Amino acid sequence: MRTNPFITGFTALAALAFGGTAHAYPEFQKYVSQKSGRTVNCAMCHMHSDGPEGAAPGQIGHLTMGEQAELGRARAAFEPHANVKSPILNAFGNHIINSLGKKQFLELRVTPSELANKLPKDSDLDGDGITDVDEYLTGTHPLIKSDGLPWLLFKANLAANLGQIVLMLAATVLGLWGLHHLLHGFDVATRLQDNDEESG
Amino acid sequence: MNLKETLHNTEKFLAERMPVEKMNYASMVQKKEVPVHGLAWGYYMGGLAMFFFMVQIATGLMLLFYYQPTVSDAHASVEFITDQIPAGALVRNVHAWASSLMIGSVLIHLLTAFAMKAFEKPRELTWVTGVLLLGITFGFGFTGYLLPWHQIAVNATKIGLQTIEEIGGYLPGQMAEWPRLAKEIIQGEASVGQATLSRFFSLHVIILPLAIFGVLGFHLVSVQLHGMSKGIDAKPRRLEKFFPTFLLKDLRVWGIAFMVLFILGACLPFESLFAYPLFEPFDPKGSTPDGIKPEWYFFWVYYPLELLPLWVILVGSTLLAGVLLATPWIFKNTNRQSLRLIAIAAGIYLIIMTLFGENIYHLFKG
Repeated sequence: MRTNPFITGFTALAALAFGGTAHAYPEFQKYVSQKSGRTVNCAMCHMHSDGPEGAAPGQIGHLTMGEQAELGRARAAFEPHANVKSPILNAFGNHIINSLGKKQFLELRVTPSELANKLPKDSDLDGDGITDVDEYLTGTHPLIKSDGLPWLLFKANLAANLGQIVLMLAATVLGLWGLHHLLHGFDVATRLQDNDEESG
Repeated sequence: MNLKETLHNTEKFLAERMPVEKMNYASMVQKKEVPVHGLAWGYYMGGLAMFFFMVQIATGLMLLFYYQPTVSDAHASVEFITDQIPAGALVRNVHAWASSLMIGSVLIHLLTAFAMKAFEKPRELTWVTGVLLLGITFGFGFTGYLLPWHQIAVNATKIGLQTIEEIGGYLPGQMAEWPRLAKEIIQGEASVGQATLSRFFSLHVIILPLAIFGVLGFHLVSVQLHGMSKGIDAKPRRLEKFFPTFLLKDLRVWGIAFMVLFILGACLPFESLFAYPLFEPFDPKGSTPDGIKPEWYFFWVYYPLELLPLWVILVGSTLLAGVLLATPWIFKNTNRQSLRLIAIAAGIYLIIMTLFGENIYHLFKG
């Protein structure tokens, strides 16, 4: 893929100029919150729910030298498929950077809705049956298997567990059927015993 | 009334409420009959609540093997159960769903028993123990909510305990200190922390189960001794034998409940009903996320609490508790028609506050 050397150079310069500053990009968070009507925080893409600035685990002030070097590599990953692993981003945040590249991602800040169109459509990082793109649009967490729109999760899990559910339903129905006959047998036996006692 | 007379009356009262001469297989099982009428479905609600309670015991014991009641490990152990233990997510989810279904069944059981005037003499103590069981069940819900140690758990518990302390402002003299002391005893330290988690854990897995076994035992024996209440003013369509007919039907209801519970447990994570920041691990240094609220079964008191002055809720709750405990005597002469209307009104209030409480709150508070 050909790239515009001027834009790449300019973006790299901007990144260098703001190299010491953490970028949380609230445009995406704001868009998702508004579109989905759900509470969303920085933990959708970042390691820490309050974003990258601070000294808590997952924030810049807590990084080791090695992690800082990895962060530098991630910040310089302007093109897609750089296979970086930023220590301040979670797997979804890194998935975005690796899929789009930092340059395209920064350009999308003005149209955060477009992020859903640019990300791979079939990726499902938490394996909950709802794609990352859908989770982004519905404000649910792409890395938490138990988080998703209830109806979508129900459908996905029903399809995934159909075999076990059918077996369980069959076992319960058969169990109740057997119990019915067992109790019926007890009832008949008791009546017969009562009749015998009365006649005897 | 002298002491001898008081003792005699007490003995007579207890003898009528606990007819131990009926404590035999013939009276409690063989001869027991259940009326069949339009409200007879209400007879299944108590058994259903007990079924969900048994599920809670089974799944709770399984969770106990892995759950760590420490602030550093509680959330991680819950995540470990969910992500690493075979069927851990299913067991945990079934535990969460069964708790809600148990509380729902207990509430419906209370309303149907009220509508059927099942508290009539000699069943007063059966009713009173039922109300105590409702309180214990709410206690299970409140203490269990904290155990996963996530944002909503800790922050909602903080709000709940803070509300207890605020009650002191409405009490006179020395009594003003009692709520604060109660809060400190429950909390165990300056803020919600390790001591609180340890106490809630002890309450949830030892103290409340012991209490419920005692009260439930009395409640069940009492139900079996007195048999099912008549339920309606008219003559029932027919009577059916408790064993095996009603028992079999009860087991069928349990079977259906088990199927529903299994499907919910396998397909719909309970946590999906919250916004995700709420079930992140609690971070004492982090910001409090939006949307902190108690479990749905406290909405009927939570949203009024948010809208009205605390003293109004305090007076209302005290009155409600008193009325519930004294129902057999307050409504002794009330006909079933009126009781049914009161039960329907209470049911509608509970449903509206549970489903639309938040909308009502925003309507008034903007």
